[in-house]
Amino acid sequence: MQSEINETERNKSDEDFSLKSYSKEQDIADQIINNSRSMISVINRNYIYEKVNSTFCNAHMLVNDSIVGKSVVEVWGKEAFEKAIKKNIDLCFSGKTIRYEAAFETPSLGNRYFEVVFRPISVGSGEVTHLLAETFDINDLKHSKQKAIEKEEEFRKFETNLPIGFLRCDVDGKILKVNKSFLKIIGCNEEHSVVGSNIKSFYPYDDILEIQYEKLLEHNTTAFDRVYLKNFSGTDIPCRISGYLAMNGSGNPSYIDFAIEDSSRELMLENRLIQAQKLETIGALAGGIAHDFNNILATISGYAEMLQDDLSEKSELSDKINKIQGAVLKAKSITSQILTFSRQVEQEKVRVNVSAVLKETIGFVKSVVPSNIIIKNRIIKNDVNVLADPTQLFRVFLNLMTNAIQAMEEKGGTLSVNQTVVEGKCVKHDLNKDIVADEYVLLTFKDTGIGMDPSLKSRIFEPFFTTREVGKGTGLGLSVTHGIITEMEGEILVSSKKDKGSVFNVYLPVSREDNDLPEIRNNKKRILFIKGNKYESRIFSMALENSGYEMVSVSDLNKLHGVMTDANNKPDIVIYMSDSRQIHPEKLLAIFHQLMIKIPCILITEPNLELLEEKLLNSGIITQHLMKPVSLKEIRNAIRLNIK
Amino acid sequence: MPGILIVEDEKELREMLKVYFTKRKYTVLEAENGKDAIVHFKPSVTDVVITDLIMPEEDGLKVIMKLREFKSSIKIIAISGGGKVGPASYLSLAKALGADAIFAKPFPISSLASKIEELLGEEKNSEQLAQ
Repeated sequence: MQSEINETERNKSDEDFSLKSYSKEQDIADQIINNSRSMISVINRNYIYEKVNSTFCNAHMLVNDSIVGKSVVEVWGKEAFEKAIKKNIDLCFSGKTIRYEAAFETPSLGNRYFEVVFRPISVGSGEVTHLLAETFDINDLKHSKQKAIEKEEEFRKFETNLPIGFLRCDVDGKILKVNKSFLKIIGCNEEHSVVGSNIKSFYPYDDILEIQYEKLLEHNTTAFDRVYLKNFSGTDIPCRISGYLAMNGSGNPSYIDFAIEDSSRELMLENRLIQAQKLETIGALAGGIAHDFNNILATISGYAEMLQDDLSEKSELSDKINKIQGAVLKAKSITSQILTFSRQVEQEKVRVNVSAVLKETIGFVKSVVPSNIIIKNRIIKNDVNVLADPTQLFRVFLNLMTNAIQAMEEKGGTLSVNQTVVEGKCVKHDLNKDIVADEYVLLTFKDTGIGMDPSLKSRIFEPFFTTREVGKGTGLGLSVTHGIITEMEGEILVSSKKDKGSVFNVYLPVSREDNDLPEIRNNKKRILFIKGNKYESRIFSMALENSGYEMVSVSDLNKLHGVMTDANNKPDIVIYMSDSRQIHPEKLLAIFHQLMIKIPCILITEPNLELLEEKLLNSGIITQHLMKPVSLKEIRNAIRLNIK
Repeated sequence: MPGILIVEDEKELREMLKVYFTKRKYTVLEAENGKDAIVHFKPSVTDVVITDLIMPEEDGLKVIMKLREFKSSIKIIAISGGGKVGPASYLSLAKALGADAIFAKPFPISSLASKIEELLGEEKNSEQLAQ
């Protein structure tokens, strides 16, 4: 194409000159077209290339002649043609300039992004006969755009995945921007209902923002004290807030960025720790007091006993001394409960089926529950064993159920008791323990009663803390429950809502078969067990049987007589529950006297003795008196002490 | 008459036990803490020791170990009412260290007395057997 113009040629005719200048212009135009970085082509209405530039040829690694005359389909392939090219060409021939972006593969450039422009042109006539196609390589632009999007996406993920709320507001508190986590904290789904409002509406007091702003003026990045944000459902959410005050070009404050973290869990753990420390302290204190009390009680009961010895049995004073002894026993039961709470009493543990104890407790409670209260129970997994004192477990369940019933006393309601098994690793977080058992039995006691407010809830495990009237309960129930569960390496968690009800979750570690139990050596002592309340009795039987004793249980007089007169199967000891329905204290006394029985006898009564029980106690046949609540340890000690 | 050493820091309780066992014709010796009991121990006149476990100076566990060392045939009864570590674990520890019997306070004093009689009876029997 290039032709050199020399001096001699300049002297040719005008026509010649104009021809030459034409070809010169043509030449320049060709130069421009061919040196363009764009692929340029002219396509006719039959989709045939009529002209292409060198960039086009180079991209396809073909010479000019092998493209011109070819159709667009042949050059770009059928798929690309059908998918994008054809319809755009057709549009262009209707007179419009078409721009679109597409990725093309060319032999020399590979796959790249292009912007394609089709311009309708008319060659010769006024009608659109051809189109001018131009492609601009936008690959790099596209990539950097893509990178920018990815970067933004990455940052967006970063700020949305983090559980930290971000909020930007102007210096007056008008919210300009929030992220998803912030919306989550305040319990709102829509950004637009927050943006535009004032941050002060989430603060419990108006002047918090002013205080924060002043602090930010001193140090433009500041971590503030904990603030309770009001969420959309009206609950206060404890939040940790830090802020950054941004300045504009002229050095004036322009906006504030806040980072807001929900610290509910942190606060909960903090409170739990304080609670545990408090209980520990009270426990140690109460334990010390219990120790001193026991010394004093020992002195009182010793002198009372001596006084009794000095008097003849028929003396009127004898009765009064019995009352002193009764009071001592009652006081002893309280000190022993305090010691249980402060975990200063080791429990005697046996392997015990939790659902069996739970079922007996439910039976016991159902027999006395008022009719306006429904008890539902669902035991998802039966036959799960834990290491426990069944009598203590009974106390735990009984305490929790009694409390639930009392919470529903006035209006009635439903107590739901569920038992299931959960994996330790799944509840590690809930229990906040570093080391957990493999599996836990989870017992849930849920009531629809009066519920508790947070301040009440935080104190329920403290000893002597009670909401009941004076004289109705010692305020030791839940602290004893807490003590027993903690001693079993379990956990008790409470949640409650005022006027809605409470849920107590009890986690007890599951005992596996290979867990070592202290060897039981009772040489199969035979116990004649005179049953009282059937549910409670079954718990005692369970406890003693699992401790290795041979139990002979009776509940009627005939059978009692039968056992007592069978010379081959004499029991080693008798345990008598004074609330036996058929065998009343005087009947037991009569049988002992009639058959001249010399077997040691343990009496189990309620703390308040009835007259007949007192008579039995003073008759000489009772070798040991235990008052409810009785632990397995107490019974076993009594048995050991009394079996020679 | 058999001699009983009562080791108890609570004065009233010690007094009570002294009154009770003196009346039952025992020779009663007293110590108000573990150190006293160990330092002033008279093996020839002491057959039974009733010792509290939690006491100032030396505690009851030390008393059990030391007195058993001084006189192996001595009968030891540990009594406790709880405290920092708890009565049960302390008492079982006492038993493991060689106490012949244990009682959690408050206890019926008659049971304590019969236990002592039983322990001394065993001794008599074994002495008779030896003769």
